[in-house]
Amino acid sequence: MRGIRKRFSSVEVLKGVDLTLHEGEVLALLGENGAGKSTLMKILSGDYSRDGGEILLSGTPVQINSPRDAENAGIRVIYQELNYAPDLSVAENVLMGHLPRRPGPLGSLLVDWQESYRRTGEILATLTKEIDPRDPVGSLSVGKQQLVEIAKALSGNARILVMDEPTAALASREVQMLFETITSLRARGVGIIYISHRLDEVEEVAQRVTVLRDGTVAGDVPLAQVTRREIVRMMVGREVETLYPARQGVPGEPILEVSGLTRAGVFEDVSFTVRAGEIVGLYGLLGAGQTEVVNALFGANPAHQGQIKVMGKPVSIRSPRDGKRCGIGLVPEDRKREGVVLSMSVADNLTLGNWQAVSSGGVFQPTRERERTDYWVKRLAVRFSRSPDQEIGTLSGGNQQKIVIARWLEAGTRVLLLSEPTRGVDVGARADIYAVIEELREQGLGLVLVSSDMEELLGLSDRTLVFSRGRIVQELDRAAASQEALLAAASGEVTL
Amino acid sequence: MTEPVTQAARQNIWSRINGQTWLGLLGVYIALIITLSLKSPYFLSVNNFLNIGVAVSIIGIIAVTMTMVIVSGGIDLSVASVVALTGTVVAQLSNRDMPFGLPAMPVAVTSALAVGLLAGAFNGVAVTRIGINPLIATLGTLSIARGLAFVSSGGLTQTISSDAFGFLGRGFLLGIPFPVIFMLLLFALTAAIMQKTVFGRSLYAIGGNAQASRLAGLPVSRLVMAVYILSGFSAALGGLFLASQFSSGAPAAAAGIELSVIAAVILGGTSLSGGKGTIGGTLLGVLILGTLNNGLTLLSVSSYYQEVARGAVLLLAVGLDQLRLRLAARARG
Repeated sequence: MRGIRKRFSSVEVLKGVDLTLHEGEVLALLGENGAGKSTLMKILSGDYSRDGGEILLSGTPVQINSPRDAENAGIRVIYQELNYAPDLSVAENVLMGHLPRRPGPLGSLLVDWQESYRRTGEILATLTKEIDPRDPVGSLSVGKQQLVEIAKALSGNARILVMDEPTAALASREVQMLFETITSLRARGVGIIYISHRLDEVEEVAQRVTVLRDGTVAGDVPLAQVTRREIVRMMVGREVETLYPARQGVPGEPILEVSGLTRAGVFEDVSFTVRAGEIVGLYGLLGAGQTEVVNALFGANPAHQGQIKVMGKPVSIRSPRDGKRCGIGLVPEDRKREGVVLSMSVADNLTLGNWQAVSSGGVFQPTRERERTDYWVKRLAVRFSRSPDQEIGTLSGGNQQKIVIARWLEAGTRVLLLSEPTRGVDVGARADIYAVIEELREQGLGLVLVSSDMEELLGLSDRTLVFSRGRIVQELDRAAASQEALLAAASGEVTL
Repeated sequence: MTEPVTQAARQNIWSRINGQTWLGLLGVYIALIITLSLKSPYFLSVNNFLNIGVAVSIIGIIAVTMTMVIVSGGIDLSVASVVALTGTVVAQLSNRDMPFGLPAMPVAVTSALAVGLLAGAFNGVAVTRIGINPLIATLGTLSIARGLAFVSSGGLTQTISSDAFGFLGRGFLLGIPFPVIFMLLLFALTAAIMQKTVFGRSLYAIGGNAQASRLAGLPVSRLVMAVYILSGFSAALGGLFLASQFSSGAPAAAAGIELSVIAAVILGGTSLSGGKGTIGGTLLGVLILGTLNNGLTLLSVSSYYQEVARGAVLLLAVGLDQLRLRLAARARG
């Protein structure tokens, strides 16, 4: 791609971007949200038209004006949100639009299922042995669904694959599976553009990195020649000292005590204590129970058995309202579906559930509302383009997340449960959120952090509890915790 | 240097106008009024507009709470049947001797309103406690309530003799028909509730994202329950007005008006998927459909064609709104 330009109304989003991808290469495309990555990829895939520049395939200019043009040119994009029909079989999804027909006079009306399954099986065999072409896609794990998506791309003889945050929803074992697939695709000469916020992954799979900042290329270098720090500087445009803030103060009294918490078939006999001014990390593979424990503590999916004490007092938590009343708050895993109301304004989302504080007799007091909003916006450095009255969906993921956190602080929360707080959040905003978390710790809140990003977990937590099959299998303090130790305990290699 | 500034300013104005569906609707309404005034000499008069007001009053009263239901992410198909059921209940009780010498009419009216509340509560329980999809739950109630209307009346239309009751549907206050006054007051009150109160904003939040609202600590089930009860109550009010207008309760009354109500709400810019919509928009939707009917009748257009026109206007308005949203999305990127 050469000199690509794109403007939306008066804003120039891409200001002449060059991007080169070699055969059999994994190119990491990095940049903060809004840097132009998605726009560039949508131009490549024919979703957007370009205002300037050209696209060349093996040296010859090609016209890509629609997704179909891109498909014919061998360019396929695997989006963050997977596009599949959950009730149809793997084969139907892989061969969608190209299902083989039966021979004979009525053949064009009848699908040749034998041939469909055989062809799909052939493509899948090069990726994994664990997927049956007859299974409905909806019954597979997210990681396997992604492989189906890749198989779909390969069925169309893709030469260029774009992967947008492919590991965002994957457990670590599935990430390894994906990386093996990428290696075998490279061997076949497929070029891959890999978009991710996770620098450790990028270092593992990519050979070269192109960094976008404000619609221009801020760097294009082989990975072997740069340090992580230099990459971050290219993305952010300034020196980011350390992502994780320095730690001060020592934990105080127990603020949350959990004993024997059980939800049959999901987690069992979970006991731990969180003290004021302490961050306790929970780690486990997908489905090990850590996320469900946090949801149960808040009351979203209540536990069946066990005792919860907040500030020494036993409490009964059967619903989110109970959790909130007891001073427990939850920053949920899936921000768009569970965290924010996209159709409402920034201010409304911030005060959501705290409306008694900004109203009297059930009627809103606009000045008080504005005051509270301004206070939190300033304190958490929330960035938006117009005013707190704009829809929250127009903010970046990191700023949306700050609003969700502010909502709980406004409610006077004593124990904040954070579930994947930085998923889909770019580096700059991530450091902001870490700083907020650390500030809350210093103020004596008890914090529980669930994260599949091990680096984040280790960087923030005072202690880490490792889950496996619904039970806590190990407790690691800050000194003993390492990525290796976490993985070993989570995958059950260590017994107590 | 000045060009980008003016461009930005122009865009700002455009985006502000763009966000207001009702402005477009108002334009449509004014255009409709002008067209009909030119076509018919009888159209543009105070009396005719009061006629329109009376004609739309029942649909209007029900459309107010239907807007609340749809904004909160639900729908209520049972309203027309509840109108009929309350009509038959009030008509029958009005002709009976009450125990303890109680006056018949107040008891009948109270019972009819109670029936509406009960039907709403039934919908609310089905949706929030049992978890039945609102479309299906209220479709069930639609059938049950209509059936009960026939059962309780034996299929017969019964007359109401009370004169005082006639005021509700046929009375005047300061020269304005009472149903019109009542409808406009209800619109004003509910508009304030939706915009200014915690209850109103909670409905927008629930319709926008029920799960996020629950996790933020809103009493989602209780609020949704309340909305269906209100909807049942206003259907009962509609039933009383209708019974009063005709001095009778008919089990087959108001058949299919739930669709007119929903059409008016959607025409007014409320999103069927919840979270968006205004009471003012609904008022415009009700008036546009009512005025269109009135105008076409004055122009002696067959009522069969009126049905066609109503459907076409609805599709046109919603289609244009979709187009506007798509253009706005493209401009934003």
